[in-house]
Amino acid sequence: MGQMEVTRAAEPHNVPLLVERIKEGDREAFMAITRLYQKKVYLLAYSYLRNNEDALDIVQDTFLRLYQKVDMFRSEKNFQTWLLQIAKNLCIDYYRKNYSRSKAYRSDEDVEEVRMPAQDDENSHSFSDVERVFTKCLDRLTEKQRLIFVMKHYNNLEYKEIAQILRISVGTVKSLHFKAVQNLRALMSPYMGEQI
Amino acid sequence: MNEKCNKIKRDLVAFLYEEIDNNTRERIRSHLDICASCRDELQGIKGVAQAADSLNDEMEKAMASVNWDTLPSRISDAVFDQKSALPLQAPPGRFWEILVQPRLKPVYAALFVGLMLGALGTLIVMRTSLLRESRGESFIVSQEFLDRVELEMARRDTLDYLEKSQYVLLDFLQASPKSAPQTWRRDLASQAAKDLLAKKRYINPQLDKFRMAKAKEICDQIEFLFFELTQVSDQLSEEDLQNIQDLIAEKQLLLKIKLLKKDLEESEV
Repeated sequence: MGQMEVTRAAEPHNVPLLVERIKEGDREAFMAITRLYQKKVYLLAYSYLRNNEDALDIVQDTFLRLYQKVDMFRSEKNFQTWLLQIAKNLCIDYYRKNYSRSKAYRSDEDVEEVRMPAQDDENSHSFSDVERVFTKCLDRLTEKQRLIFVMKHYNNLEYKEIAQILRISVGTVKSLHFKAVQNLRALMSPYMGEQI
Repeated sequence: MNEKCNKIKRDLVAFLYEEIDNNTRERIRSHLDICASCRDELQGIKGVAQAADSLNDEMEKAMASVNWDTLPSRISDAVFDQKSALPLQAPPGRFWEILVQPRLKPVYAALFVGLMLGALGTLIVMRTSLLRESRGESFIVSQEFLDRVELEMARRDTLDYLEKSQYVLLDFLQASPKSAPQTWRRDLASQAAKDLLAKKRYINPQLDKFRMAKAKEICDQIEFLFFELTQVSDQLSEEDLQNIQDLIAEKQLLLKIKLLKKDLEESEV
């Protein structure tokens, strides 16, 4: 199969065709699918784990799992949802395995230790201060709230897609997103003053 | 804050992220025009979103650091050519592969130690039991011992019965014919006399079992006498009572009781 043919096929509406060819062991089709979805998988992994190397590991593992389980994919399902389900599961496993302890350790350090400028000097906020406060507050959310916030804010996924990836109802996604924002606001308010 | 504000505030996050239908969006916009509290709430939510945006720069840098052109072929190489070199293990396909996973080693070790301890405990218990049997020790009481205990109990019960009967008969015989009816009625009406009849029924099987024929014969005579007198005592005349007293004396019932008691006392088990 020529490169042009793969490029042409690497459009969303041709995904079912590519998937069928991956089932037959077509390496070019596999690369085309990887090329099409690698950034979405990486963005989900990076926004959840916040580490470049770990995110790249997740990308590689996601596409490996895709290859191993491609026979289980049903054509009536949304391929991106199915792929992001794999990525999400890997992220959660990876986080529980490698980040839980360090998170517990970091929580001792607490948000209070992050230096914030005085409220009357808000224009002088350095970018990294807000970033660090927000990162620590994000870490304090529950697993599902953090996932939903990240999927919505950084991956621009719709509630409907998030619901399918997490296998919960749209209403639950909406409710958990609301709670995530409220919790972030409550956690950040002592350090952000009237900005929040 | 009214009911409407509460409802609007719950929709503000979805409103900000444009996850709301057109009608609701218009309703919220109209409400925000007139409600300062809800406007403040929206401002707070926007503050969280802005704080979240502070990570955008970092994410863009991270995205830019990846060579997206070569990544697919690298992943493809890893998947197609070097599957075994990948950090994540493929899920075990067969039952025995699940059983021999290295991470289950501590479980197997614990099971092995448990089995060994169980076997050792069983061995100790069985060995102690075997040793006890070999020494002829047993906690089980022999039938012979039980028989001896029962015989002793029968002997004592019979002695007790004879002794109490003796007292009642002595009272009856020593009484004058005039006072005998009162004494007799009083004694036979008493619980002691009734108890003697009941006790006789209790010792009957024991007398039969241990072949105490002589004792049984005398005890039967006493029982018969008590039973008859219990039934007819109210109608007895002084003359009848005198005849009964004579009969008891003639039969030498008290003497027989005395001799039997002596025999039983000497044959103590």
